[in-house]
Amino acid sequence: MHHAYIDKFAYQDSAIHRLDSRVKFLVVLVFTAVVISLPRTSLSILVCYAIGPFAVLVWAGIPVRFAFKQILLVSPFVLVLALSCPLYDRTPVAVSFGPFLWRITTGWMRCFTILAKFVVTMLALIALVSTTRFNNLLAGLQRLGLPRLLIVQLGFLYRYIFVLIDRAHHIVRARAGRKLRNLGFKTELRTAASMLGSLFIRSIDTAEHISIAMQARGFDGSWRTLWALHTHQSDWLFVLGAACYISGLYIFIKPILQ
Amino acid sequence: MHMANELLSIPVATGTLAIAGASLGVICRKVRQVIAADKFALMGILGAFVFAAQMVNFQLPAMPGTSGHMVGAVLLAIILGPHLGAIVISSVVIVQCLIFQDGGLLALGCNIINIALVPSYLGYFLYRTVTNGGFSSLKAYIGAMLACVIAMEAGAILVAIEAAVSGVLVVPFSTFLITMVAIHFLVGFVEGLATVAVLAYLQQLRPDVVADSLPGTIRLSRRAVLVTLAVFAFVIGAGLSLLASDLPDGLEWSYAERPDQPDFQPVVSNPDARIAAVDDLQSKYSPLPDYSARSSKLGEVAEQQADVGAGWTSFAGVVGSVLTMALIWATACILRRRQPQ
Amino acid sequence: MTKMPEAIVIESFTYRYPDGTPALSDITLSIEHGQKVALIGPNGAGKSTLLLVMAGFVKGSGRVLVDGLEINSRNLKKIRTCLGSCLENPDDQLFMPTLFDDVAFGPLNMGLPAEQVRARVADALQTVGLGQMSDKAPHHLSAGQKRAAAVATILAMSPKIITLDEPDGSLDPRNRDNLMRLLGSLPQTLVIATCNMNFAAALADRAVLLDKGRIIADGAAEEIMSDAKLMAAHGLEIAAKK
Repeated sequence: MHHAYIDKFAYQDSAIHRLDSRVKFLVVLVFTAVVISLPRTSLSILVCYAIGPFAVLVWAGIPVRFAFKQILLVSPFVLVLALSCPLYDRTPVAVSFGPFLWRITTGWMRCFTILAKFVVTMLALIALVSTTRFNNLLAGLQRLGLPRLLIVQLGFLYRYIFVLIDRAHHIVRARAGRKLRNLGFKTELRTAASMLGSLFIRSIDTAEHISIAMQARGFDGSWRTLWALHTHQSDWLFVLGAACYISGLYIFIKPILQ
Repeated sequence: MHMANELLSIPVATGTLAIAGASLGVICRKVRQVIAADKFALMGILGAFVFAAQMVNFQLPAMPGTSGHMVGAVLLAIILGPHLGAIVISSVVIVQCLIFQDGGLLALGCNIINIALVPSYLGYFLYRTVTNGGFSSLKAYIGAMLACVIAMEAGAILVAIEAAVSGVLVVPFSTFLITMVAIHFLVGFVEGLATVAVLAYLQQLRPDVVADSLPGTIRLSRRAVLVTLAVFAFVIGAGLSLLASDLPDGLEWSYAERPDQPDFQPVVSNPDARIAAVDDLQSKYSPLPDYSARSSKLGEVAEQQADVGAGWTSFAGVVGSVLTMALIWATACILRRRQPQ
Repeated sequence: MTKMPEAIVIESFTYRYPDGTPALSDITLSIEHGQKVALIGPNGAGKSTLLLVMAGFVKGSGRVLVDGLEINSRNLKKIRTCLGSCLENPDDQLFMPTLFDDVAFGPLNMGLPAEQVRARVADALQTVGLGQMSDKAPHHLSAGQKRAAAVATILAMSPKIITLDEPDGSLDPRNRDNLMRLLGSLPQTLVIATCNMNFAAALADRAVLLDKGRIIADGAAEEIMSDAKLMAAHGLEIAAKK
């Protein structure tokens, strides 16, 4: 299933994979914030900012085609909204790009900028997630201050999401195998409801079994883990490099580009 | 319905992140003292259930080819109570962002508020109000339907407000709002149907689950809910009225540029390094003005002259970046081929 | 010299489901330390329920003692350190993001210091043959590995008694053999619920036949499991000759 691939990349090994998850998370957060705060109609600086996540992805051995496929999957909402810009902003503007001179509207500039920012920030996010094992990410988030209950919840969610998705997949496939013709909305709904309902009840039963397993191993309500994070020299080098790159582009290159 | 980073401005993103973070912190702390040990597993599993449920789709009537699916926020709030429901759906939103990249990192605050916090509490409150007193199937179904529709609408309205205040989009606020409200009425209706149908199914097989007698659910103080809702209604009302005012797009007053004053120079046009550094700091707290909007005020001839130099540097910037990326790619390929498998 | 308490003692235990149907009726059973007991019977006989009774999860009428301790809220934690339960579905037992976290869960709840926990995790994983896998996520493991990992989560607590509910379920012959070898090498008292007579015969020296919530027969494994009439009467088959 598609979801399995996201996980698999995180289990590969590279210098990026070995970085501390807190470092990666914070760098991506700052990077995203800086990119978002760039002017609303500047495209060329965005291409410069794309180098960062691209380089990280390549260095970590993540196929770039996979990254773009992910981006495509989650783009519909942004695409629709970005395309609304040319509709509502028809201010004409002439844009010169090297030897070319184009006459378009600021609406289109805004549209392209939104989409370009989307691609760049998504690349950064994918770089973070595909090079960090989820449990390491959780450990990092816990150290950064996320409430313990939420961390526990995310851990469980992550553990059982694949299990339940597979169950749902089986149920849906079973329905597909038995559905011969369209029986009208009411039957559709009733079938879907019973599928959801049985998934739900089975989930509750699974939760009871897990609870028994937890108590059988002495669980008394306090959550204890041995998550230890250590930063190495490579982490600080990465932070330094990223800081130079992000601020360097912002301070020196941005003012001279359109 | 998931917001992307790019539709938000930094102040809105950080503001909503702060609100969402603080709310989750308060809820987690409050719940932690009361929660029974066996709730952990249930919360986790139901979070995974939400994802699985989104895979079960059904054909919508009168719209051939499209199918709807359940979001499940209101269902969980009804069954687990609003606090646990809010935590579970928040975790779902976080996982959607981190594992499936649905919704941006900076938009997490907005998404948690729009999809998890508001629908859970609002939906639960509406459901409880309708099913006040004894539990009856009809009341439960009406309550669930009402809760779903209104909860979805509330989320949609918030999306419109957040996008409008950010000012990235140029769609007039009223248009955007009406579109979102209309679409999410349908979404909420479908969600309501699915929720009611699942509740009916559960009522037959596990009535203990539906009648809110799952051990450990937390009773909500009526007064607390009413106060929160009043504050919330005030905020939404104030926001809506502010944005529906007569200003162009309703937003220009909040930015550093003033299109009605063509001579106004935006603060951040000076390429001096020191000012640029200060500007760097300042830009983190205020949205930046539009360079092109400024240039579009000049005459066309002036544009051509002014932009020719800028045009070549942009060209250089883009070409240089693409070449750099190609170089990185090529280096990686060569190194990989060198290394034994 | 005080007599060493038996591993498990159950006296006249009866348990009914909420709707009144009897799940277990008048169970009297005594298991000594070091014994390997096979709990056999058809589906629905009550084997799983009986295992839950031993671990203190089911309250009924009658006495249950584990290692001399009566099951009540005071002794529960100590009993669960002493008796480890392997559930039917290893997915229910491996609920942490990594194998290390799962195997460390028990020792951490016992309050052991970090170094000891790490040592126990390494030992347990080594014993079940998953020594290099502590970083793996459970959903990346195969069925056989999951079963072995589930056993490791129990071993890390150094229990005196281990109960296993259908441990050979959905395992292919090779994995089943591996599991058999692993369980055969363990020094603990074992109570294994199973429908698979060959599996039971290979591991157990004593068999307890359960049907419809009652103990039908209790004695030497070889005797009971080669009694064709008895086996057939309760929906089971006889063990194949070795």
